[in-house]
Amino acid sequence: MTETVAHLTVDGAPADLAGMPDDERLLDTLRWRLGRKGTKEGCRTGDCGACTVLVDGRSTLACLTLTREVDGSDVTTIDGAARDAELSRVTRAFAEAGALQCGYCTPGFVVALAGLLKERGRAAPLEELLDGLQGNLCRCTGYAAIVRGVALAREEAP
Amino acid sequence: MEGPHAPRAVPGFELVAPASVEEAIAALRAADDGGATAIAGGTDLLLDLDDGRLAPRRVVSLRRLPWRTLDWLDGALTVGATLPLRSLEDDREVRRRLPGLWQAVHAVGSVALRHRATLGGNLGRSAPASDLIPMLLALDAEVDLVGPRGERRVPVDDFVRASRRTALLPGELIRSVRVPEPRPSAYLWQRVRPANDISQIAVAVAFSPGRRHWSIAVAGMPPRPALLPDVARDLGDGAPSDAALTAAAARASRAVPITGDQRASEEYRRRLVGTLLTRAVRAVPFEGGRPL
Repeated sequence: MTETVAHLTVDGAPADLAGMPDDERLLDTLRWRLGRKGTKEGCRTGDCGACTVLVDGRSTLACLTLTREVDGSDVTTIDGAARDAELSRVTRAFAEAGALQCGYCTPGFVVALAGLLKERGRAAPLEELLDGLQGNLCRCTGYAAIVRGVALAREEAP
Repeated sequence: MEGPHAPRAVPGFELVAPASVEEAIAALRAADDGGATAIAGGTDLLLDLDDGRLAPRRVVSLRRLPWRTLDWLDGALTVGATLPLRSLEDDREVRRRLPGLWQAVHAVGSVALRHRATLGGNLGRSAPASDLIPMLLALDAEVDLVGPRGERRVPVDDFVRASRRTALLPGELIRSVRVPEPRPSAYLWQRVRPANDISQIAVAVAFSPGRRHWSIAVAGMPPRPALLPDVARDLGDGAPSDAALTAAAARASRAVPITGDQRASEEYRRRLVGTLLTRAVRAVPFEGGRPL
């Protein structure tokens, strides 16, 4: 066991990670240790993007990340959407566009798109944003509405 | 805590994060006999840990080592082993001077995956479906290693032995990867589902302006991605004629040790090799016999 306690800020609050085993995934820390179940588990192999969170502002697959490997980071999840301007904007745009069916992939899409907008800015071409969402799968195949949601999020005034 | 993946009480391994290269090497050595493995981004390693293909007692994190670097020196690019692939992709000079490398990096997983995945991890894990190994082969890249007996530099072609097998010695780490010169280059792949599958076939092509020769590498065949020097010679010392390109594509189609599997039949793969090779070479910009 690693002796030291890992420190993480999750959606603005310090997380209690005392006694956390070394091999714990960020996804399990968020869902089971911290009870933040907005972040979804889909494939657990990095293929579907449902577990996407922001680690220091960068989109990250929580299923393929050891929590201790991001020790000291600032983690933002869909549960913290209200306190993040970009996440709020994308959430509103997806709601307006009706960009969801069953909704299971939606947190991953919203967080991944917010991450892209933070990285690239809203001047980024729509094609680049859509290309950057290739790692997010919607099993309902509701992609047409999702594409409209992405376009709306990009156009909406800050 | 409950649920299918609720945290276990007993950890499967201990994770250590040494603050220096020497300590990292020592940490790997102290648990040898296959008992320790290094982790960079972990995006590939964790899959093997999850389903038990690997069960090390100790995992040595490289996160505190100063290897998230990217340097151009005298035309050569050196990429630190733990630089996230996304940072490599975002470097304007990489895209301009090594377009094939940019395409290969862009072909790896998703944006979120590339925020953690690294070049060192990709090489060290030596995945048969690696998008980066064929391109590094075509660029004559070398791997800088550091270990208990000091440092050494190994061509990627010698470093990658087979699927999941490399020339790494016990306690040795990949410190960086060196690409010797800018090269007009291209990387093309074919997948059943473009967004989230591995390639049925991928072709990396690069032209060395200084030595005026082509390098061609193909991935999607056992035991590992490989260079095809005879095919490269067919292409001559500049922009190839249509006849030369047709001959090279036909030779590549014949020569590769391809087998069929659930992703594609042998016949389909052989055709893909020729088609992708032709398109990739045509994608490398030349003007009046000189690379742009």
